Amino acid sequence: MNDWLGLLFQIFLIITALAVVFHKNHFTIIILMSVFSIIAATLYMINQAPDVAIAEAAINAAIIPLIYVIAISRQRELIVYDKLHHGSMDPTQPLVGEIYVYLDQFSLKHKLKLNLCRDLGGNDQTVFKDLNVDVLVDLDKKAKQFILKGKSSNVLMKKMMKDLKGKTNIRFEMLEEGDYLD
Amino acid sequence: MIRRIVTIPLLIAVFMVFVFALQDYETIYQDSARLFYQTFGYTLTGSLNLVTAIYLDFRLLDTLFEAGVLLIAVTGVSYIAQHEQVEHNPLFMLDKFKIPELFVSLARVIYPIVLLFGIYVVFNGHLAPGGGFQGGSILATSLLILYYIDLKKKTNLQRIFTIEKWLYLALLSVSMISFFTRGVWFTNFVSLESDVIVKSIFLITLNLLIGAKVALGLTAIFIAFLKEGR
Repeated sequence: MNDWLGLLFQIFLIITALAVVFHKNHFTIIILMSVFSIIAATLYMINQAPDVAIAEAAINAAIIPLIYVIAISRQRELIVYDKLHHGSMDPTQPLVGEIYVYLDQFSLKHKLKLNLCRDLGGNDQTVFKDLNVDVLVDLDKKAKQFILKGKSSNVLMKKMMKDLKGKTNIRFEMLEEGDYLD
Repeated sequence: MIRRIVTIPLLIAVFMVFVFALQDYETIYQDSARLFYQTFGYTLTGSLNLVTAIYLDFRLLDTLFEAGVLLIAVTGVSYIAQHEQVEHNPLFMLDKFKIPELFVSLARVIYPIVLLFGIYVVFNGHLAPGGGFQGGSILATSLLILYYIDLKKKTNLQRIFTIEKWLYLALLSVSMISFFTRGVWFTNFVSLESDVIVKSIFLITLNLLIGAKVALGLTAIFIAFLKEGR
């Protein structure tokens, strides 16, 4: 009986592993990985290793998915550091001003949530190094241009640079990769 | 392309080594150690669960190094995640996404049960399957659920690291007491002839220390992930 059950669960294990590899949606993949480890825990239980099964169920089916949820929800946001202090910009309200309209459109196009931060302090290098800010908004008073700054290692920034090539009142500056940790 | 051409023969070579190694099945898998643990495990260590008997008595030094590995991992995560900027937005990303009401209400019901089960697994580690590491990770799960229930919860990460270091020192010192009472390093501090119940005091103490350390360590890693880059 246990032999057949073990064989069945091993087949399930392979199917779930393939599903993890070929699926596209990140949050579904997390659930599938959790399912994978529950099946693995059942296999440990069938092979008479209850201690390992408990550890597998607690860590791989509960803690690691929770950490992945945090890590992936981090990637769904466009974090903009606004140096201009344009009043109290509420991220939920419709945005005004050309630069904000552009950032809003950009984040909608890439299915990201726009997060405007203010009052972070520190110079440009430390902001990019210590905090995971994607874009920095600044104003060039002499040329009457908005300046957007981004890290060159960020893939989104290359797309933004291509977008902004034709525009006259918005300038894009790419900060070179220094000794950043990430 | 060259990398693939090199990789395939290497994989085949590793597989062949594995197959040749399996032919010494008799010498690798001799069961003298298993028979020893089965016959003398309970009377020598006072632990019904033979896995606990091995990792808390026969091979305690290995367990100490394992606990040290977790400590080093937590220290590394905290080093990478540290930053000098003052946090102005302590809420993490999930506040922007609406957490389902069902998840929150279910988590409120599950949280005390999981906490109790974790404590049970830690305390019963020497009688039933489980132990410090397993119970500690269950405890950590229940602590992590709290962060999904209350998003504005704040924790002093530095204090958690300090407590974990002290717990590791306590673990080392408790396992070293045996040198002063019996003259042997890293084993039970009660003499071999004493009762099984007296011996289990040592096992419960060590399981408690390991459980607390693992729970705090995993929670610290999670919180460092939450705070990173904010």
